[in-house]
Amino acid sequence: MASRILVASILVFSLLETCYGGVQFSTLKRTLLINASPKPGELLKAGDMVTVTWGLNQSLPAGIDDEYKNLKVKLCYAPISQKDRAWRKTVNNLSKDKTCQFTIVTRPYKASKENQSFKWAIERDVPTATYFVRAYAYNSAGEEVAFGQTTDSKKTTYLFDIQAITGRHPSLDIASVCFSAFSVVSLFGFFFMEKRKAKISQKN
Amino acid sequence: MADIEGSPGSSMHGVTGREQTFAFSVASPIVPTDTTAKFDLPVDSEHKAKVFKLFSFANPHMRTFHLSWISFFTCFVSTFAAAPLVPIIRDNLNLKKGDIGNAGIASVSGSIFSRLVMGAVCDLLGPRYGCAFLIMLSAPTVFCMSFVSSAGGYVAVRFMIGFSLATFVSCQYWMSTMFNGKIIGLVNGTAAGWGNMGGGATQLIMPLLYDIIRRIGATPFTAWRIAFFIPAWLHVIMGILVLTLGQDLPDGNLSTLQKKGHVAKDKFSKVLWYAITNYRTWVFVLLYGYSMGVELSTDNVIAEYFFDRFDLKLQTAGIIAATFGMANFVARPFGGYLSDKAAQRFGMRGRLWNVWILQTLGGVFCIWLGRANSLPISVLAMILFSIGAQAACGATFGIIPFISRRSLGIISGLTGAGGNFGSGLTQLLFFTSSRYSTSTGLSLMGIMIVACTLPVTLVHFPQWGSMFLPPSKDVVKSSEEHYYGSEWTEEEKQKGLHQGSLKFAENSRSERGRRVASAPTPPNSTPTHV
Repeated sequence: MASRILVASILVFSLLETCYGGVQFSTLKRTLLINASPKPGELLKAGDMVTVTWGLNQSLPAGIDDEYKNLKVKLCYAPISQKDRAWRKTVNNLSKDKTCQFTIVTRPYKASKENQSFKWAIERDVPTATYFVRAYAYNSAGEEVAFGQTTDSKKTTYLFDIQAITGRHPSLDIASVCFSAFSVVSLFGFFFMEKRKAKISQKN
Repeated sequence: MADIEGSPGSSMHGVTGREQTFAFSVASPIVPTDTTAKFDLPVDSEHKAKVFKLFSFANPHMRTFHLSWISFFTCFVSTFAAAPLVPIIRDNLNLKKGDIGNAGIASVSGSIFSRLVMGAVCDLLGPRYGCAFLIMLSAPTVFCMSFVSSAGGYVAVRFMIGFSLATFVSCQYWMSTMFNGKIIGLVNGTAAGWGNMGGGATQLIMPLLYDIIRRIGATPFTAWRIAFFIPAWLHVIMGILVLTLGQDLPDGNLSTLQKKGHVAKDKFSKVLWYAITNYRTWVFVLLYGYSMGVELSTDNVIAEYFFDRFDLKLQTAGIIAATFGMANFVARPFGGYLSDKAAQRFGMRGRLWNVWILQTLGGVFCIWLGRANSLPISVLAMILFSIGAQAACGATFGIIPFISRRSLGIISGLTGAGGNFGSGLTQLLFFTSSRYSTSTGLSLMGIMIVACTLPVTLVHFPQWGSMFLPPSKDVVKSSEEHYYGSEWTEEEKQKGLHQGSLKFAENSRSERGRRVASAPTPPNSTPTHV
């Protein structure tokens, strides 16, 4: 009965879910120039600051950025960190693409000759991996229309590493040991106590 | 000379076919009630309950039932607790697909060994201490998740937590000491089904706990570690409850049994020999690997599958995954019920067809699950797959009691181990390599289920037939007495050790289906009054 209600509600929710055919990455033009502060091969930790600087490629004809309304700068996985990890796969259809899973900054697009920059502290839920930075420009419909990235098209240059926090905590470790000890001690304590009681009652 | 009444494997329940298999009580003329005993439930001469009152907590029988199934449920929760949290864990520990697959295999492999040892532990220390020892000594392994910082550590800890699944043995053993043999079928089946539900419940519980802990303020990579404390505390709490509220036997604890002295037991080597030389044992070991085994494998991969394939939130993926395991509540007993219904009309042949149909349908729905591209179809396919696989588990144990009378315990144990082995194998073949996606893995697993269910067509009982062949025409070979008597040597028969088997043989004539009335009297059957 419960599973039937569940299926019915899933059916309803999925009908409510609208499905847009996603934009293909191969159709995007690389018009943005973006730079990130980590040097190639540098190892960063959670909490370190990363400065990203971006701007339109000035050597391109004017007016190319007329439809850009929003800009998102994202942290993306390099191919080596995608290997054997299908949940980070690069797919041409951007609505299914899992390459860039962390947003550094979202800004409305400002057409100007000067570059803009943002200082970002690496968050504590960023996993240990090799990364590059990519920026997407969106039109007013919210679709990607252009991009720029810190690495080359094969994603082999200017990659940097981030070392995640372990998630471990000394207080957790101590609590863990204490409860484990309690479990073992109370088990054996009970066992020997009962054995002693049985011996005493047998003597009587 | 009868074996110990109510010892594991001695259940005669459902054997006549005239009793409703899922009987809730045993009528008094069949088993006399001991009126001198002061228990909440009517009991037999050994003070085992004759009635199964589900919503009672009366000491000792129903209290034992609840302590037992909840302990088993807790162990299922902790063994599969990592599965719905894998999307977080894989980022924290930098896991690859191979690491995740290996951990899944490790989580089900440990109990192959620990279930075999648990039988001996229950014999030595009693089921109460067997259960308590296992559940409290595996609590530290669950707490250990807070220390894990690499793929190797993760695999090792999941392996150690998996040992706790041996509570299945202590659970079934403990019920056998508390409940009369004629209702033990329902009691054990309910306990096993409800315990298995833990694999589904954990998919709901763990993401919920993770979410609450994150809202309190922990970062993701710490929150999942804290979430593991809850199943670990459950281990400790259940262990303490089992020790303080439980007792080994209706009349008290194990020391009483030791005072009564021992009844002569069968020789282990003989019992093992007759189990492993019967080819039907191995067919069902294989089959159970593809009903229970695929259920365990799916418990390990399904939440991650829905999370990745359909971009769901962790809790949503968990809810969907939970419906898979929770279906055990009704699906497993349903399979047993269908088996009994089929046997009423068609006898053992009906039971065999029933298992084949249920398990093959499960395989077909598994293929469909892998290929489904939309969420609603995927969920529907998963639910149908769960019903097929879990009903097949119940149906399998409707046939196992008839394979052998002498070696029922070992055959049940081997079948159970086959389930875990099948789970490890399917995870190794289909969910560890990066060569294909999880959805392809599911479809391939479905194909393997269909293929590995075919051997049930080979199972032939001379007295009852098989799926495609009628029973043997030979008057001697086509008697139940001949089949069950062939497990004893002439010497043993002369000593009268096979009396229990003969009684069983006579009661199993119901497996002829509607032909029972026309069955010829076998020439060499021992008369009931010697």
